[in-house]
Amino acid sequence: MSGVSTAAYFARRAAQKERVRILYRRALKDTLNWAVHRHIFYRDASDLREKFNANQDVEDIDRIDKLIAHGESEYNKWRHPDPYIVPWAPGGSKFCRNPTPPAGIEIVYNYGLEDNP
Amino acid sequence: MALRNAVLRQLRVPVQTLGMNQSQIGFLGSIRSFSSNDDHLSREAVVDRVLDVVKSFPKVDPSKVTPEVHFQNDLGLDSLDTVEIVMAIEEEFKLEIPDKEADKIDSCTLAIEYVYNHPMSS
Repeated sequence: MSGVSTAAYFARRAAQKERVRILYRRALKDTLNWAVHRHIFYRDASDLREKFNANQDVEDIDRIDKLIAHGESEYNKWRHPDPYIVPWAPGGSKFCRNPTPPAGIEIVYNYGLEDNP
Repeated sequence: MALRNAVLRQLRVPVQTLGMNQSQIGFLGSIRSFSSNDDHLSREAVVDRVLDVVKSFPKVDPSKVTPEVHFQNDLGLDSLDTVEIVMAIEEEFKLEIPDKEADKIDSCTLAIEYVYNHPMSS
């Protein structure tokens, strides 16, 4: 049992915290996908927050790993089949639709064409 | 034919090449050049909207919010609260921030920089 806080321990804890943050972010977006009406979304978001807060004081690293894995499997189970993606983002409807034209292209309105009918 | 040309010479609008307009561009602001996205926000607008988002967060004391405030150190928020604030900023500016980038946004300065430099914020 490591009661000693080494750098590896802290690195592992930091990685876990990042996983938790990313999981919370994805779960919140997923909740927004399912619960479109705002009042329902607020209720579901606070329920999600309660679930995360209930486990926030756990210190045992292996138990934290198990909880994160359980949370990710729950998230995978509840993923929305047709999520809202911002249109210009990858997967959205406007992605790559109008790519920026290469630089240096201009229109010159050549009204002098009347010279050569 | 000669009469037509003479009449047209009187009526013709002089063609201006783009070179002449270069001096006016600073006055007019951004060039409109085929891009459909010409509503880049000004910095004050970005700052105002980001601060409004942060101030309307229920766990935040609105009087403490400045453009340089750090979410966890100064406002006393949790890491999950920063995630919620970043999501609210995403919704406000209609952005899609990738997960790795969103994890790094920790303070108001970073949020304002990110939104201001993002080409699709509106």
